Amino acid sequence: MTAVNKFLTATAVIALAGPLAAQEITIVREVDSNNYDPHKTTARAAAEALFMLGDTLVSLEPDMQTVTDGLAKGWEVSEDGLVYTFHLKDGVQFCNGREMTAQDVVYSMKRWIDPETNSPVSWRAGDVEDIVALDDKTVEYRLQHPFSELLYQLTQSFATVIDKDTVEELGEDFGISGFVGTGPFCWESWSPRDKMVLTRHENYAWGPAFYENKGPAHLEKITWQIVPEENTRTVAIVTGQSEATQYVPPIALNQLRNTPNISVQQSDSAFWTYFMGFKVNKETVSDEVVRQAINLAVNQEALAEDLLFGEVEPAYSYVSQAALDWNEALDDKLLRYDPEAAKSMLDEAGWVPGPDGVRAKDGVELRPTAYVFAGSSWQKLSEFVQAELLKVGIGMEIQAFDATVAWGKLATQEFDIFGMSYPYVSSGDALNLYFPSQNMPTPNRMNWDDPETDELLQAGKTALSDQDRAAAYGKVLEKVHAAAVWLPLYHEPMFIAQTDKLEPIKPHNNYGAGFYKGLDLKYKE
Amino acid sequence: MLDTLAKRLLQSIPVLIGVLVLGFLLVQLSPGDPARVFAGAMAPPEVVEQIREKMGLDRSLWTQFWGYVERVMHGDLGRSFISNKTVTSELLAAIVPTMELMIACLIWSIPLGIGMGTLAAVWRGSLVDRAVMAFSVAGVSLPIFFICLLLIQWFGVKWQLFPFIGRGGPLWTVEGLRHIALPALSLGLIFIGPVARMTRSSVLEVLRLDHVRTARSKGLNESQVILRHGLRNALIPVVTLVGLQAGYLLGGAVVTETVFSYPGIGRLSVGAILSADYPLAQGCILVLALAFIIINMIVDILYAILDPRVQKR
Amino acid sequence: MTASVPLTEALDDTAPPRQAWWKALLRDRAAALALITLLSIALAALLAPLIAPHDPYEGTRSVMQPPVWAERGDWTYLLGTDGQGRDILSRLLYGTRLTLLIGILSVGLGATVGSLLGLLSAFYKRIDPYVMRFADVMLSFPAILLGLALVAIFGPGALPVIIALSIATVPDSARIARSIAIGVMEQEYIEAGRAIGLSDRTLFSRYLLRNSISAIMIFVSLRFGQIILIGAALSFLGLGARPPAAELGMMASQGRDFMLFAPHIAFIPSIAIFVIVLAANITGDAIRDVLDPRLRS
Repeated sequence: MTAVNKFLTATAVIALAGPLAAQEITIVREVDSNNYDPHKTTARAAAEALFMLGDTLVSLEPDMQTVTDGLAKGWEVSEDGLVYTFHLKDGVQFCNGREMTAQDVVYSMKRWIDPETNSPVSWRAGDVEDIVALDDKTVEYRLQHPFSELLYQLTQSFATVIDKDTVEELGEDFGISGFVGTGPFCWESWSPRDKMVLTRHENYAWGPAFYENKGPAHLEKITWQIVPEENTRTVAIVTGQSEATQYVPPIALNQLRNTPNISVQQSDSAFWTYFMGFKVNKETVSDEVVRQAINLAVNQEALAEDLLFGEVEPAYSYVSQAALDWNEALDDKLLRYDPEAAKSMLDEAGWVPGPDGVRAKDGVELRPTAYVFAGSSWQKLSEFVQAELLKVGIGMEIQAFDATVAWGKLATQEFDIFGMSYPYVSSGDALNLYFPSQNMPTPNRMNWDDPETDELLQAGKTALSDQDRAAAYGKVLEKVHAAAVWLPLYHEPMFIAQTDKLEPIKPHNNYGAGFYKGLDLKYKE
Repeated sequence: MLDTLAKRLLQSIPVLIGVLVLGFLLVQLSPGDPARVFAGAMAPPEVVEQIREKMGLDRSLWTQFWGYVERVMHGDLGRSFISNKTVTSELLAAIVPTMELMIACLIWSIPLGIGMGTLAAVWRGSLVDRAVMAFSVAGVSLPIFFICLLLIQWFGVKWQLFPFIGRGGPLWTVEGLRHIALPALSLGLIFIGPVARMTRSSVLEVLRLDHVRTARSKGLNESQVILRHGLRNALIPVVTLVGLQAGYLLGGAVVTETVFSYPGIGRLSVGAILSADYPLAQGCILVLALAFIIINMIVDILYAILDPRVQKR
Repeated sequence: MTASVPLTEALDDTAPPRQAWWKALLRDRAAALALITLLSIALAALLAPLIAPHDPYEGTRSVMQPPVWAERGDWTYLLGTDGQGRDILSRLLYGTRLTLLIGILSVGLGATVGSLLGLLSAFYKRIDPYVMRFADVMLSFPAILLGLALVAIFGPGALPVIIALSIATVPDSARIARSIAIGVMEQEYIEAGRAIGLSDRTLFSRYLLRNSISAIMIFVSLRFGQIILIGAALSFLGLGARPPAAELGMMASQGRDFMLFAPHIAFIPSIAIFVIVLAANITGDAIRDVLDPRLRS
């Protein structure tokens, strides 16, 4: 490695940037989104651009807990938690120069929940009674039931306010051939799977309070360049072909930290968790003992250390223990690595090792099938888990599918185990996504069908006080952890590698979009 | 001349039909339910049914094929499953970069290959000849991705001479040229070998011909003979070679574009196939096959112009 | 997608000499060396399960070990380990096996079908125009395009790649076999055989096939290297062999993630492909020179 270090030191003098174009940066990233219509995609890649292209009523501070101003300068919530009144900022304009009013907010929210739009994320808006513009600057958001998550959900890119005329003009091509929002950057061009170019919104002046710069942005142009290969992204940062990226492989982080003129920023409240889930009603993994044994058999610490170079936090909980409403009573009960216990548990439950070491019970072999995404990270992860399980006599079989096919495959009942990673803002956000029975077969791919969970989730959602909400979600967390419905693998922190020509970037974590609105991106003077 | 053209056009009809069948099969035989993929995993069954109807998936194969041909004729290749852009617009955006890459590759590799081949022929059996032959054997034996990786490692990372990500702009801009340098170098390196080899053998052949011998005996000096008679006649097979090697170049371009994240047709096809984007994959294959037919047609015509004997055959 | 000499043209009217061509071949030192290299590689690949020092599929905790000659190298892993701590030498042996298998199956299948078609169309003149028209159409689909199309239909895998490469080999071999066979058919002994009442079948297998086989061999040996290259390229792109199987192109592709820190992971399998193809090409050229001295330069 010393040779590498020497090389990095020697070559970090930026030679490749070409004629330095004044205020432009290129951000390299791994994958593109399928589109940039806030209501028609759940991709992180879309959120990354949408946060820059548009604004939401309220925004989230980097601590992932505090909700602050956005397009609304302030808001009130009624006693019963049913009516939210938002007061909009003055002088907000779309990129096409038109002034934004309460009507635009109403239009955007209604399009989000309109069954015609068929948005996969409409549930995030809560059970809406109606959304009305009281006047040009006031929006009233009325709910049928209280929804304690609402403000958090409204900070997501799905709640971006969009320009009605553009939506109607572009029709099916909205978010594909063009987009108009009120964000600090405007859409210039998008060539799928190649790059997206954003230019500065010159009149922007309504950035959220936690940004020192309220607008306009310092940078004139941001290019999001797709580079699928890990190594090429790393080298792009080192050679100055890209100024910043959050997609550096763990293997390169330490090297980059030691490279002159390159910094790595880290945030530990990223709330992005990798796990494998079990279909609780399929033979073999329907046995709670098997699921617990799997949890005991896998050494998350070794995984984090060897496979991911110690750059991630081994996970034993299904959401980060730092997330809002995490149940601290569970801290001591989490299943940790203990392969001997796993073996004796399986022995006791009647799963006896066969001739090839794989256990069986009543003629059923312990060979669950796992579906995972093709690609280097899940290949490594699943093969690691496979090897660990084999040591205690569980013969997991892996089938990898390419991203698009995978989503369809994961909606079926063909598999026993699936691999997944996901972002969340809070425990409630995570639980409401994965565990309600009406979310079967997807995203509730575990077939976790439990009336009490449903009730508790409803109670958490409609809770009027923080304590009630935390209590309800706490109980759900307890239930699902006790049943070992998942095998948590690791929590991934947010890393941003950047050139030191830029001011230090503070990573944001909303939906894993590290640059958020990009208002603080700035070259040093 | 016109005869050749007409004959060539006529000959390409069965090929075109073959291409269409291939494109159609691609959508038909692909695993999974196209309507379901299009609708997304979360869509309710009614929506999937609507889409199925829209795509004509519930009608007979024959009807579907004609529908397909009709749509292709109108330039309607559907929309990409992944980006939801029209396939036509994605293809159009990718064709120019690929053509630029081809030009940037051929413009230096063909002259160099011809030069090397001629020298090898003139000094037949010499050290130069052997070096050229060794170089060309090595050139056709190197996996193109290895060349790309080596160039990135040295020219891109170590010496930091050229960028190696994406396209900088049109070919006539400085950034465009800087970005295309390494991909064009990689692709050219695998093409010099065949060109040099072909030039060498055809120059050797030509030098043996009667009129060249006569010229020599008339007292013209060697370089004049080679330039005036040898090389010009030797160019004919080289033109054919470009046609014959179009497939070879195409394969090289697919790899090169992918490694350099260069937004051409090759990278688009690989991406489309890997993400099971059937409409786009089908469109890419149609365009590639069509390009291949057109290149061969142009080569045939050039051949006819350069060598009038062909017409009489 | 042949990258070497214009083969069709060269073979048009040559009845290959029948002699102890092995001896002649081995007299060419470069060719002998290439042939020996190729055979040893093939042997090593064949014996992979016996001679591989480690399990090629199982990862270990020592990831990205450099080869033995480098700083920090280690005799346990002669060529080092990859990003998952798997022994590169063992993977190389298994990978060569799969790479060679793809090449041999593709060329073998394609050339067999193609040659049969070519010979038959020379033998039975009435099917000739159909076969040749078919070959013309097929020629319009270069191997890489067929590969892309078949993988698009069936999904990535070694099998679709083999099928595609075989199909791509059919038209060329059909044309070559036909042009040779037409020459053979004009020979007097075919007429004589017909006159004494030999069956079509005997004529075909005893005279036609036997007299055409060496020309087909030339074609196969020249084509082999190219097919290996295309197969490896497809695997490199993720369209060919699937993990966890080891294949040289795929190994190079997986090594790309570690280029900055451990370039040997990508370079070693790439060099292996180069050596195999180079040896195959040199051998192929030599076989052609020996079997067909007229082409010797």
